[in-house]
Amino acid sequence: MSLFGRILGQGRDPDRQQHQAEQRARSQAWETALNNRTAPEFVKDRLENTKAGRLPWVSTGSVGALVAQRTHGIEPVGIVSGNCWYHYGYSWTRGHYDGWHTAIDRMQREAALLDANAVVDVQMKATRMEGTGADQMDYAVFGTAVRIAGLAPTRTPVVATVSALEFARLMESGILPVGLAIGAHFNWYYTYFNAGGFGTWWNQELTALSEFMSDVRRTALSQLASDGARMGTGVLARVQFSELLHAESSDNDPRERFLARYIAFGTAVLHEPRRHVPLGLRAVFSVKDGKMTPVVPTDEEII
Amino acid sequence: MADQTTTAANPVLAQLPPSALERLQGLRETGRKGGIFTSDLSVNEFLMVREAGFEPLGLVLGSCIYHVGIQYGSWKQNQELNVISQAMYQARELAMSRMEQEALLLKADGVVGVRLEVKRLEWDTNILEFMAIGTAIAHSAGHPGFKGPKGMPFTSDLSGQDFWMLLRAGHRPLAMVMGSCVYHVAHQGVLRALGNVGRNVEITQFTQAMYDARELAMERMQHEAAEAGADGVVGVQLHEGSHNWQPHVIEFFAVGTAVKPIEDKSLIPEPASPQIVIPVND
Repeated sequence: MSLFGRILGQGRDPDRQQHQAEQRARSQAWETALNNRTAPEFVKDRLENTKAGRLPWVSTGSVGALVAQRTHGIEPVGIVSGNCWYHYGYSWTRGHYDGWHTAIDRMQREAALLDANAVVDVQMKATRMEGTGADQMDYAVFGTAVRIAGLAPTRTPVVATVSALEFARLMESGILPVGLAIGAHFNWYYTYFNAGGFGTWWNQELTALSEFMSDVRRTALSQLASDGARMGTGVLARVQFSELLHAESSDNDPRERFLARYIAFGTAVLHEPRRHVPLGLRAVFSVKDGKMTPVVPTDEEII
Repeated sequence: MADQTTTAANPVLAQLPPSALERLQGLRETGRKGGIFTSDLSVNEFLMVREAGFEPLGLVLGSCIYHVGIQYGSWKQNQELNVISQAMYQARELAMSRMEQEALLLKADGVVGVRLEVKRLEWDTNILEFMAIGTAIAHSAGHPGFKGPKGMPFTSDLSGQDFWMLLRAGHRPLAMVMGSCVYHVAHQGVLRALGNVGRNVEITQFTQAMYDARELAMERMQHEAAEAGADGVVGVQLHEGSHNWQPHVIEFFAVGTAVKPIEDKSLIPEPASPQIVIPVND
């Protein structure tokens, strides 16, 4: 067969035909599974075999995380994942909300198939691909499904963005990480007036823009709170992003336009306010010269 | 509730509040009815804020989009650019006070982990966006002795960990204090520059400019702390930066947390004398 024949897949090679048939079947299986909110048979098989111990357990955690297995009964079972390639309209803010939540749901369903209680060490990965347009991207999550000694399987395992070690420490303090909360909002602001303050000569606040931006943030943060309230009693949102863009007036539209976006991600936790288990902290002073602020500056700082 | 067979099999489960254990057992899918807090704390900061005897109430923020006016200055003169200085100060102050107002609405005792951000906007170099963001917290037992100046919530750029340590040190935060100075460093005359060719020589004009600008920023910060009724300022950082300005224009920005000793001695935790350690694993 010629090289072109191979590339175009015009061969009559029975192996090749069989391979392609298999690939089609696999695609079909994914489609059916995603529509039915479950996993394809071959994924179920792997999870089933892992669960039963016929395949080795798999963990994204460090060796240190294994310690939590002996000390806190947190036993790694297998890696679970979910993703969602999502096309969004004017802004990716809504895309983030829907995309991540869909991906997390899928990951939770895989974890449930492993009879897990929690997914720890959950990592997020967003991917854009060249040639697919700027208005779509893939939202993927993966983590380690764990079983906790003494518990029956959980139908919807909790999702924790922390490692198994930290998960154990949080449990000791009466805190349970349960999921990922997202608050995202965008809005347009139109004006015939000089909201940008162009051409003025003095110091002044652009109050209309300030208020507009604040409104967008507030809406996003109240969404973060209500998303978190579905799952827990608090949201620890370390990741926040905001942007204010400007479009000049044009012949089609004499108005100035501003686009504001705000997005916040946080770990949702379930705890009881005012009930705190003391950590028994001990202060230590390290004599290792690490990333602590050195007394003598490094050469990068002074040269 | 935690049934005994469950907690006997794994003692750590006994530490979880009933709602959390029920969630892990799959007996509930949702959070508790009632309040939820938001924050920008990390997991460890959350632990430490609670360890310090406080509860997070909510993420608070204030922002201000500001148009910086025209500044007249002389090419050959060292001088503070007072219009820009005032703009930088006033806009930060506006953002901070709005954040404080949000904290006040939450009946907070204070705000920890405050970050002050200045963003330039792509479409106009004269417009800057200022944002103050932090987590409002309140004392778990509702003790009134932690409020900031004039009964307002205190503000602090200390992390949850540092906040815990500050209380251990017998101090409490009052206010995040700052001083700023935007300065124009004079250009050298051509003859002067030529005169320096091939010589090792201090350019005193530049030295003075940098010195003066830093001095003004620090002085202002210190005065702000005195006004807040502080005994001292910890964690001071000195930033030098330019926000899209011409060359030779530089901002010195000093920021730190004004503190004073805790008045009510019963609130001071045991001092922690650190054990000296050397890690062997990294």
